[in-house]
Amino acid sequence: MTKTGATPCDVSLIVNGEPRTVRAYPMERLLDVLRQQLGLTGTKEGCGEGECGACSVIMDGALVDSCLVPVLQAQGSNVVTIEGLGKDVRACALQETFLECGGAQCGICTPGMILAAVHLLNEKPEPTMDDIRDGLAGNLCRCTGYVQIFEAVAAAARRGVAR
Amino acid sequence: MKSERIVALSAPRKEGRDKVTGRARYIDDITLPEMLYGATVRSRIPRGKIKKITFGPGINWDKFVVVTAKDIPGKNYIALIENDQLCLADGIVNHPEEPVLLLAHPDRHALPKAVEAVSIEYDSLPPVFTIEESERQSEIIWGADNIFKTYLIQKGDVDGIWEKADYIVEGEYSTGAQEQLYIETNGAIAAFDAERGLTVWGSLQCPYYVHKALMALCNLPETKVRVVQTETGGAFGGKEEYPSMLAAHASLLAMKSRRPVKIVYDRAEDMVATTKRHPSRTRHRTAVRKDGKILGGEIELVIDGGAYVTLSPVVLSRAAIHAGGPYEWPAIRVRAKAVATNAPPHGAFRGFGAPQSLFAMERHMDRIARAVNLSPVEIRRINFLKPGQTTITEQTINEPVDLGKMLDRALEHSSYEAKKQWFARENESGAVRKGMGVAAFLHGAGFTGSGERYLASVVGVEGTAEGRVRVLVSSTEFGQGTNTVLCQIAAETLGLPYDDVEIAQPDTTEVPNSGPTVASRTAMVVGSLVASAARGLEQTLTASGKLGKTYSAEEFRRACREHVAAHGRFRSLARYEPPANIYWDDQNYRGEAYAAFAWAIYVAEVTVDLATYSVSVADFVALQEVGRVLNPVLARGQIIGGVAQGIGFALYEKVEWRDGCMQNGQMTNYIMPTSADVPPIRVFFEELGNTHGAYGAKGIGELPMDGPAPAIVNAIEDALGIPLDSVPLLPENIFDAIASASNRESDARSPTGVR
Amino acid sequence: MRSDPAEYDLVAPANLQAAVSLLASEPGRWLPIAGGTDLMVQFAAGTLRARKLISIARLPELRRTEVFAEEIEIGAGCTYTDVRKHDIVDSEFPMLARAASWTGGIANQNRGTLGGNIVNASPAGDSLPALLAYDADLILVSVRGERRVPYASFHTGYKKTKLAADELIRAVRLPRRFGGYFSHARKVGTRNAQAVSKVCIAALARMEDGTVQDARIAFGSIAPMPVRLAETERLLNRKRLDPSLVLLASKTAAAEVQPIDDIRSTARYRAAVAGNLVAEFLERLGETQRAPSEVLARWNGLPADEAENEILACCGSRVWARGMAARRPFLDEAAVLAASDETWRNLGESDWMEAFRSHPRIGESRAAQILSARSAAWSAQEQSNAAAADDAIKIALAEANRKYERQFGRIFIVCAAGKTGSEILQILRRRLQNDDGAELREAAEQQRQITQIRLRKWLQG
Repeated sequence: MTKTGATPCDVSLIVNGEPRTVRAYPMERLLDVLRQQLGLTGTKEGCGEGECGACSVIMDGALVDSCLVPVLQAQGSNVVTIEGLGKDVRACALQETFLECGGAQCGICTPGMILAAVHLLNEKPEPTMDDIRDGLAGNLCRCTGYVQIFEAVAAAARRGVAR
Repeated sequence: MKSERIVALSAPRKEGRDKVTGRARYIDDITLPEMLYGATVRSRIPRGKIKKITFGPGINWDKFVVVTAKDIPGKNYIALIENDQLCLADGIVNHPEEPVLLLAHPDRHALPKAVEAVSIEYDSLPPVFTIEESERQSEIIWGADNIFKTYLIQKGDVDGIWEKADYIVEGEYSTGAQEQLYIETNGAIAAFDAERGLTVWGSLQCPYYVHKALMALCNLPETKVRVVQTETGGAFGGKEEYPSMLAAHASLLAMKSRRPVKIVYDRAEDMVATTKRHPSRTRHRTAVRKDGKILGGEIELVIDGGAYVTLSPVVLSRAAIHAGGPYEWPAIRVRAKAVATNAPPHGAFRGFGAPQSLFAMERHMDRIARAVNLSPVEIRRINFLKPGQTTITEQTINEPVDLGKMLDRALEHSSYEAKKQWFARENESGAVRKGMGVAAFLHGAGFTGSGERYLASVVGVEGTAEGRVRVLVSSTEFGQGTNTVLCQIAAETLGLPYDDVEIAQPDTTEVPNSGPTVASRTAMVVGSLVASAARGLEQTLTASGKLGKTYSAEEFRRACREHVAAHGRFRSLARYEPPANIYWDDQNYRGEAYAAFAWAIYVAEVTVDLATYSVSVADFVALQEVGRVLNPVLARGQIIGGVAQGIGFALYEKVEWRDGCMQNGQMTNYIMPTSADVPPIRVFFEELGNTHGAYGAKGIGELPMDGPAPAIVNAIEDALGIPLDSVPLLPENIFDAIASASNRESDARSPTGVR
Repeated sequence: MRSDPAEYDLVAPANLQAAVSLLASEPGRWLPIAGGTDLMVQFAAGTLRARKLISIARLPELRRTEVFAEEIEIGAGCTYTDVRKHDIVDSEFPMLARAASWTGGIANQNRGTLGGNIVNASPAGDSLPALLAYDADLILVSVRGERRVPYASFHTGYKKTKLAADELIRAVRLPRRFGGYFSHARKVGTRNAQAVSKVCIAALARMEDGTVQDARIAFGSIAPMPVRLAETERLLNRKRLDPSLVLLASKTAAAEVQPIDDIRSTARYRAAVAGNLVAEFLERLGETQRAPSEVLARWNGLPADEAENEILACCGSRVWARGMAARRPFLDEAAVLAASDETWRNLGESDWMEAFRSHPRIGESRAAQILSARSAAWSAQEQSNAAAADDAIKIALAEANRKYERQFGRIFIVCAAGKTGSEILQILRRRLQNDDGAELREAAEQQRQITQIRLRKWLQG
C-alpha cells in the first residue's frame, strides 16, 4: 500500500492576539491544532461533524466550527478562542451573566456557546429573543434546555446597552 | 452567630468560573507523558460464535499493544449486579458493538485503520431484537427463559373489582430507546505502576462502581486501585455503569503496555456502543366506577434490557413502583419484567424506568377520562392520592401534599380552561390544530426500599490547614450542581461564608464512599450526611476548647488552623443511619419504597401543523413540589433541562435500529432539541415546608424527565382527536395515525376535518 | 477522528487560474474543498476517498457578486452568510436568502458556500430547490475556458453532475424577472433549526385575472436530485385558482413525486407533505388576491405614524405599535394576531412596563397614562364583571392592588375579560406570591392575551 499524502507545513496565524506558527499536516483540523499543539483545551470536540458547536471559535470575525476547518485554511487568519476573551468587555459580561443566570451546567458546551453569544452580540448588540434563539441554534446544550442561556445573553446585552 | 443564610439562595456554581473561562479540565484535555491511545474492536453481528480473528495486512502490528480476554488478570466481567457482562468477548458475542479486543498505539490517527484491519469470522446464531420476539422464547438467548428479572406488586383484591366496575378501560403504550447524548463523549485514562497500582481518571458518575469493577477485573486489592473523576461534561445516567467498561479497557491496555492509555470515544462510537434508555411496553386494564373513581387494575410492564443484565433489575423496580402514578388504587396488580434482546445493554438514563411507566399511566388516565366522559382534569382530581392514603406498595403518604391545589395552580398558570375553549373554536378551521395536555406524577427520591441501607454511605467534612472547610464525597458534579449545593449545606450548617467551603475532587484515595450519584439522592441523602459531618467537625473544635458555642467565621478559621497545626489533618465522618420506622419487604415489594416523593403537575400546549404533521410545544408549565429549594437558579435549571430532554423523548429522539444496531449514530440524524425548539418553559415550585433531607430538600434531578412526554402526547390527542400511544412521536407517526384514522372515518362516511 | 491527516494532501493556490491549472494537471485526482462543511465531515468519519485536495475557500474570484440589468451573478465561493445578507438576493430572490438562513447554524452559514452546496449534489441541499425554481444558470470554468449550463440540467443522478473533472463552478446566475411573482419556500425537518430536510419546497407563480401563470414548483429531498414538478405545473398554468384546483394540484403533486424511505423519513410521509406544501403554496397565492377587511385595508394604507397611533389602543407599548405598523401590509386577522405575538415576545422589559401603564387599575377607571378614548372604553368593557362586584370585594381588590404595587412597583395586569371580581382577587392574591421575574413574565402573558382580544375587536370594526 503506497502512502500518498502530505508533508507537514508551517502555518502562521494569530491566536488570541499572539502570532503563532505551527507545523502541521495541512488537513489537520484547526480544532486539533488548537487543543494539542497550542494547549488551548477550552475549545471542545462534541461531534466532529459541525453539528454541536462545542468547537466554535471566531476566525477573522466569523463564528466557525473549528472541527471543519483544515488548518491550512487558517493560514494568516486571526483566531479567538475562549482563552482569548479575557480582555473583551462584552465577553466578560457574558461570562458573568452565564454564572448568575445558570447558563452553564456541565460546562462542556459553554466555551462554544459563549463564543457564539459574543459573535451574536457583536453583530446585534440589542438582540431580540428570536435573534438569540437563532444565533445560538448551532450550539447544542443537553443540560440547560437553553432558557437560562437566553436569559444570560439578554442580561449581558442589557449591560452592554447600559454601559 | 449563625446569621448567614446560604441555603435557599442562588449561590454561584462552585466550579462555574472554570467552566465559563474554558479552564475546566475534562478527560480529553489531559495528556500524560508517554501516553498511548486505545481503541476497541467490536463485534459487527448481533449474536454468534467467534471462529477466527485475523490481523489483516498493511498494518505494522508490532507497534500495537493488543489485549484480548486472555490478558485479563482477574475475572472477565464488569462487576455490577449479576456480573454477566464480559469485559471482552470470549468466544461468543451477544450484541452488535460488543468489545472483542483492544488496541493501543502512540499515534491516535493510526488506530481507526487498525481497528478496520482486524477481521472476525463468526458462526452466526439466530438473534432476538424485540420484546415480543424475546417473550416468544423461540430462541433462548439468556438464562432459561430470556427473562432478567420480574417483580409482582399486589395491593387489595384485584380479582374482585371487575364485576363492580361500570367501565373497564384497556390500553397499550410503548416508549422507545433514548440516547443520553451528553455533549462530552465517554473517556478514560489509565496508568499502571506495579508499586502504586492502577489509577484511572475518567468522565463518570460513580467512582466507587468503577473501583469495584477494576478490583475484580485486574485482581488488585482495594488500595491498589484509584479512581478519579475529572470534570464531566454531562451524564444523565449515561455515565453510571458504562464508565466501568471503558475504565476496564484502558486499564488492561495500561497494564499490558506499562504506559498510560487514553480512550476517548468519538461521537459515533459513543452513540452506537453505549447504553440508552430501556424501550418499554405497558398494558393497562382498569376498573372504573361511573363517577370516575378507579376501583383497581392490572398493569403489565415489560422493558427491553438488551443483551446483559447490567442495571435492568433496578430500572425495572423503579418503573414498577411508579407505574400507578400519583393516584389512589384500592386494588392493583403490577407485573413487571425485564427481557433480553441482542442489542447493546440498555442502561441508566434520568428517570430510570419511571418515564416509561408514567408515560403509560398518564396516557391511560386520558383514555379513562374519555371512556367515562369526564375531563382529563376531573379524572385526575377524583383519583389523586391524599395524605393518609397509601401508594401501590402500601406506603402511607405522611406529608400534607395537596395535588388538587397544585393542579389548580398549574391550570391557572397555563390558562388551561380559557385556552381549551379558544382552541375548540379555532380548531374548526385553519392549517394548524392546537391542544392542551396535563400530566400528574411523582418521583421517589433516593434508592428504592432497602437500597440506602445496603449502600451505607459515608461522607466526610475536613478542616484544612488554611482554615477552610472541605467536603469529602464521592458524589460527582456533572452539571446538576452537586458541588454547589453540598458546599451550601456545609456553609449553612457551620454558619460560614459560602466561599470558605470547598469540595474535594472525587478521588477514591481521598474521599469516602458517599454512594453513587444517581437516583435523585444527592441533595437529600448525601446532603443530610454533609450537614451531620459538618456538625461533627464543629463539635471536635468546640470540644477541644478552640471554638466557643458561638463564633465568627474568622474565629472558626483560626480554630481550624490551630487544630491542624496541633493534631494534623482532621475530618469528621458521617454514616447513613436508616430511619427506625422504615419498613420495606423486598420479597413482596411492599412498604416504604422511598424516603420521600416529589410531586408534579405539568401542562403542555402544542400546535400541530397539518401540512407537515410536525408538533411544536408552544408553552410549557412545570409545577412541582420537591421539598425545600436549596438553590433556586440551579433548581430551575434542572427542571428546564429535564423538560427539554422530555420534549426530545416525546417528539424528536428516535433510535433507528437495524439488527440490534443503531443506524443513526450521528448528531445530524439523531435529533435533539436546539435552541429554536424549546418553548418558554415556565417553572413553579411549591414548598410544603416539611423536612426530609438536608434543610428539607427532596430529590429533583430525575423528576422533570417523567412528565413532558405524557403531557405533550395528551395535548396532541386533544388537538387532533386521535389517540397516540407511543413515543417518540415523529411527524411520520402522526401522519400515519391521521391517515389511518381518516380511512376509518371515511369508511364510516363522515368528513375528516384534517387533510 | 477516523482519518489520518498525514495521508491527505491539501494545497491552497493563490488564484483561480492556478487552481484550474492544478485541476487540469491530473484530472480527477484533485478535489476542491471550500468551506469544508461536507468534506470535513466525511474526513472525520473516515469516508473521504480523495487524498489530494485543493483549497478554494479564499479565491477572491469566487466570492464576488455582480448585479447586471437582466441578471445577478453570485460567486460560487459566497458563503450562506454572504447570500443571506445580500440586498438584491433578499429582495428579488427571497427563497434563496431563506434557504441560506436555514442551512445549519451560524457557524455553518459562515463557512458553507453556494457552489459547495451545488457540487455536493445532496438531494437535501437547502439552496437547490430555489435555484431550480429561479431558473439559475451555472458558469463552469476550467483551463479550457468557461461554459454556461442551465442548473436544471446540471444534476444527472444521485450525487452525479455534469461538472467535468477539471472544472469548477465559478458562479451562479439568476435572471431578474421574478419581480411580480409570489413565492413560497419551506423546509421540513424534524426540528426547527440545524435540520437535514425531509421535504423542501421552493415555488413561484404569478396571477393574472384570477389565473395561475408560470407556476414553478421545485422540491428537494424527495428524489435522488432536486426536481421540478412538471405535471403539476402544467396542470396549474392558465387555470383559475379555486379550491378544486388546489385539491387537484395537491393530489397530482403527491403522486408525481417519487420519494424513498430512508433513516430520516418515509416515502408516504414525504409524498403527503409534498402535496400539502403545494396546497399551502396555492392557498397563499390565492390569499394575495383576496381583499383584506375594511379596517385592515384602510390601516394598511395609513402613513406610519397614524397607523402606529391607531393600533396603540390595542397595546400601549410604542415600540410594539411601531413594530406592527412597520410590518404592514397584513393580509388578514390571523397575520395581524401572529405578528402581534411575535412582536410582543421580542420586546424589552421597559416596553412591557409602558404597555402595563396604559391600563387603569382594576376597580378604577383612570390609567397612569391615557393613550386613547378607545383604550379607556375597552378597559371599562373588559372590567365590567369586576366592576359589578360587591363592595367588600372592591375594597379587598383595592387593598391587594396597593400591596401589589408596593411589592412590584407597577400596576397589576390581568386579562379581566369574563372574570368576576372575586376570581380576579383570587388570582391577584396568588400572584403576590410570585418572585419578580416570574411575575413579570406572567403579567406580560396577560397583556398578550388582552392585546389579542383588542386586536380582534378593532378589526371587526
